[in-house]
Amino acid sequence: MKNRARRTVLFGTLVASLLIAAVTAAVSQGKTDAQAAPAAQEVTGSIKLAGWTSGGSTEGVLLKQVLAGFAKKYPKIKVTYTALDPYQQNMLAQFAARKPPDVFYVDSNDFPDWAKQGLLEPLGPYIAKYKFSTKPFYPRLLNAFRYKSKLYGFPKGFSPLSMQVNTAMLSRAGVRAPTTWAQLRSVAQRMKAANIPAGGRPICLQPEWPRMLAFVYQNGGSLLNASKTRATVNTPAVREAVNFYIGLINDGLAGTQQQLGAGWCGEALGKEKAAIIFEGNWVMPFMAEQFPSVNYRVNRMVRNKQPATLSFTVSYSIAKASKNKAAAWTLLTYLTGKQGMGTWTSKGLELPSRKDVKLRVPGRTAFIQDAAVGRAWQFAPGFSKVMTVANNELTAVIEGKQTVNGMLAKVQEAANEALR
Amino acid sequence: MAIAVAEKRRDSLGSAKVREAFVGYAFVILPLAFFFLFFIFPMVYAIYISRYDWGVLGPIDSIGFQNYRELYEDDLFLRGLRNVLVYTAFVVPGQMALGLLAAVVVNQKIHGRPFFRAAFYFPSLASSAAIVAIFIYLLNVNGLLNAILGTNITFFSDSDTALPSIMGLVIWTTSGTVMLFYLASLQSIPTDVYEAAAIDGSGPWRTFWKITFPLLKPGHFFVLVISIIGCLKVFDQMYIVSGGTGGPNYSTLTVVLYMYQTAISDLRWGYAATMGVVLFAVIFGLTLVQRLLFGRAEVS
Amino acid sequence: MVDKEAAPHVASIERLARGEDPAAGAPVGEIPGRGAGHTATKLLVYALLLALALLYFVPFVWSVSTSLKTIPESVQGFDLIPDNPTLEAYDEVLTEFNFARYAANSAFMATSVTLLNLFLCSLGGYAFARLRFPGREVLFMAVLATLMIPDQLRFVPVFQILSDFPHTSWNLDFPSVHYNLIGTYWGFILIQAVLATNLFLMRQYFLTIPKDFEEAAKLDGAGYFKTYWRVMLPLAGPALAAVTILTFQGMWNDFFWSLVILQNPDVYSLTVGLSSFIGQYKTLWPQLMAASVISIVPITVLFVAAQRYFIAGVTAAGVKG
Repeated sequence: MKNRARRTVLFGTLVASLLIAAVTAAVSQGKTDAQAAPAAQEVTGSIKLAGWTSGGSTEGVLLKQVLAGFAKKYPKIKVTYTALDPYQQNMLAQFAARKPPDVFYVDSNDFPDWAKQGLLEPLGPYIAKYKFSTKPFYPRLLNAFRYKSKLYGFPKGFSPLSMQVNTAMLSRAGVRAPTTWAQLRSVAQRMKAANIPAGGRPICLQPEWPRMLAFVYQNGGSLLNASKTRATVNTPAVREAVNFYIGLINDGLAGTQQQLGAGWCGEALGKEKAAIIFEGNWVMPFMAEQFPSVNYRVNRMVRNKQPATLSFTVSYSIAKASKNKAAAWTLLTYLTGKQGMGTWTSKGLELPSRKDVKLRVPGRTAFIQDAAVGRAWQFAPGFSKVMTVANNELTAVIEGKQTVNGMLAKVQEAANEALR
Repeated sequence: MAIAVAEKRRDSLGSAKVREAFVGYAFVILPLAFFFLFFIFPMVYAIYISRYDWGVLGPIDSIGFQNYRELYEDDLFLRGLRNVLVYTAFVVPGQMALGLLAAVVVNQKIHGRPFFRAAFYFPSLASSAAIVAIFIYLLNVNGLLNAILGTNITFFSDSDTALPSIMGLVIWTTSGTVMLFYLASLQSIPTDVYEAAAIDGSGPWRTFWKITFPLLKPGHFFVLVISIIGCLKVFDQMYIVSGGTGGPNYSTLTVVLYMYQTAISDLRWGYAATMGVVLFAVIFGLTLVQRLLFGRAEVS
Repeated sequence: MVDKEAAPHVASIERLARGEDPAAGAPVGEIPGRGAGHTATKLLVYALLLALALLYFVPFVWSVSTSLKTIPESVQGFDLIPDNPTLEAYDEVLTEFNFARYAANSAFMATSVTLLNLFLCSLGGYAFARLRFPGREVLFMAVLATLMIPDQLRFVPVFQILSDFPHTSWNLDFPSVHYNLIGTYWGFILIQAVLATNLFLMRQYFLTIPKDFEEAAKLDGAGYFKTYWRVMLPLAGPALAAVTILTFQGMWNDFFWSLVILQNPDVYSLTVGLSSFIGQYKTLWPQLMAASVISIVPITVLFVAAQRYFIAGVTAAGVKG
């Protein structure tokens, strides 16, 4: 009798362990996403998603596709997307009313202030609980959403600045696309001598720090030190870079978009008033739609002491005041997961911030290459006033009403005040 | 019959007064509730939070009058204040002069008066966004105005011309409304005055300056008060033209725009409230000064 | 009951009905005693007038002209007449960019706010003008003082009030109903339901109506509300017309509060739609001009149709200080 019982127990244990092994194996097949979020059956609820992508645009259509994919996988979670315009103003009002959306965009430049004021939910606990892997994200982009060493969002994509050149014009002038500052200058000089483009300038430069800062980084300078405790604006590296940038404009080798009669440099390229511009991948759909006959190429950003560029990135984050954080986390991991991001970036309007999402759209190799040296466009909390000062001083310098040193001193002062 | 009615009225005189007061309050209760809820309360709230370091989610620190001290030395605020005062100093006389001119013109015995009246009022009908859109187009570096003048001025992107361009656009837009107010005042001047002036042999120019202009005093006062308040609160045009930055070179930075930036981008609501309180004090003070200088009480 | 012929306020409506222009008033007219050179002066005056009027019209004419062009043509030169006039830009703006929806939204909100203002401001204006209650003058001054408060100062508390303030910020139990008026028409309509300028206008107008009418109504035994409704309101025609047009125009063109409250693109007004269009597509000139024209046309039609009433209203309401 006892023997039989023992055999039953042994047999039962064997079967059980086989079952467990089988289930574990099956589960670990879909390891990447399924394990990172609560199982599809557990989470229910209605959550709100907000961003500035307008519903009717091409991006809006893509977003709808992504959300449709989400609904198929998690049918019990209902997601409503609202587009807010102007975004920051409306989001802040909702935060103040303690009724924010559950998941929403956070621009890397807004991130320090929003994180500091406690509006965002730290993601660390969820990463641990659901064993989510953040390895596929490009580290530079992911770190843009760390505040005081806590992570508050995952980048949903990114757009680096590269260089776009009008190939026809360059070949007419007999020059090759530049790769360094020195080459940029000499190429522009040759083009200007040959009066190419007619009625414009060889280069279009936007007179604002969101473009000029890339050049500062290329010269080894920066506005803040690495730990963001001190301003390093008034330093030789920065001064040199600014002088180079403005020098191009002053010497007639470059023009601002306003001087070239355009709303931005992409338009100048399209209207053939400039041959070399520095913009992000958003310029590609624009050119395809508005100026399809212009032949241009995307090249890597120029370099000086080191290769560097700016990466504009936006995260999906969860509101601290969200009432259904489990559902929000599920949506977040899907949107920034392999499948969701794959759909979102399928038209190349934004580049994937995950290494495991392959870009199926051609012509963006230079952007992807530049991503490795791209720095996030962000500073420290309280820096919006510093940027106002910096951009206004820059326009003064370009108009000849302020010196470069004067500007750098003012920006340094404002930066130090903000850091206090 | 009349005596009986009069007696009846005299008997209940006391309670009639109470009843009237009660009805009076009943009639105004809804409007007053609105004003209290959406104007008075927010104003009190702003004054309250101006003494705090106040963030999106509430008070961070109680700091007394430190915000006011910081404001006193804030370069950007002082610029914004200077810009808005300069703006007001040009726009108010500009729209008054243009509006008065249009009113006098339209008041003449000419053919097609309704046409001219509509023409001058037309810009006032459009929204600030539409007007700015039209002017961005016209004042573009390759646009109509540059073509006519033969120049290459980037009107809205040059710090010397950005604010004046906005001033011009606003004067053009609001002169129509001012015209209508002056028209109303012009109507109330009796014709005998003009006949007397004509008999005295006064020419049209002299008649206008010595007689018409002074008689328009109530109109001037009303227009002056409304215009100054409107100019000091200006926001839309600067916001749209500069994209919210107040550029180029701080030329379109007004107090309200800076206050808006401080609240929305810097998230310092206590400090933003401080600016609003100071601006309100400036507007209030100026209005009071005008009342004292020009006498006439508005409550008649 | 009342000798309507004697009442100047009603008389102006009668005159309007007869086709006379009540705002014609007392034009300066010809100055007697001038002889030769008279026609020359007149021609000069007309020429100047026409030039000035042209100055006012030109930007709009240009916008309409541009809106009928294609993008390449719009950057090419300054022909007033388009080569191949096309309504493509309008079509695109109305459908793809949703301006038809925005126009409908603007119309709905402007109408609702106007109706509310007409009722509440006439009621309040009558009370401030004619009914005696303690604190009346002080309260009226306070109402006028609210005109000096910048919108940007009020916007956060107003926003909080509209989105369930008692619960979210004060943790009160009352009212027990949760509400959120942000992103809806009603939030916008609510905060504009009473405008201080309208209240002021109505009060000023009621002040100029002779007291005989009310006395007569009282003798007939009418109560306060009936007096207001049956006697004073009809007499206030021009002022009501002024309120209607000023309010409708104000709401049609409102920018800041539409920006703050109507966060949902489904309920966007034309101004918000236009502003966001400028931000994104500033240099699509034909489309931008088409959008601007769309936002201006309805209000223009309203003005042209109701011009007389409006001017009569502003005149009669007595902008006399």
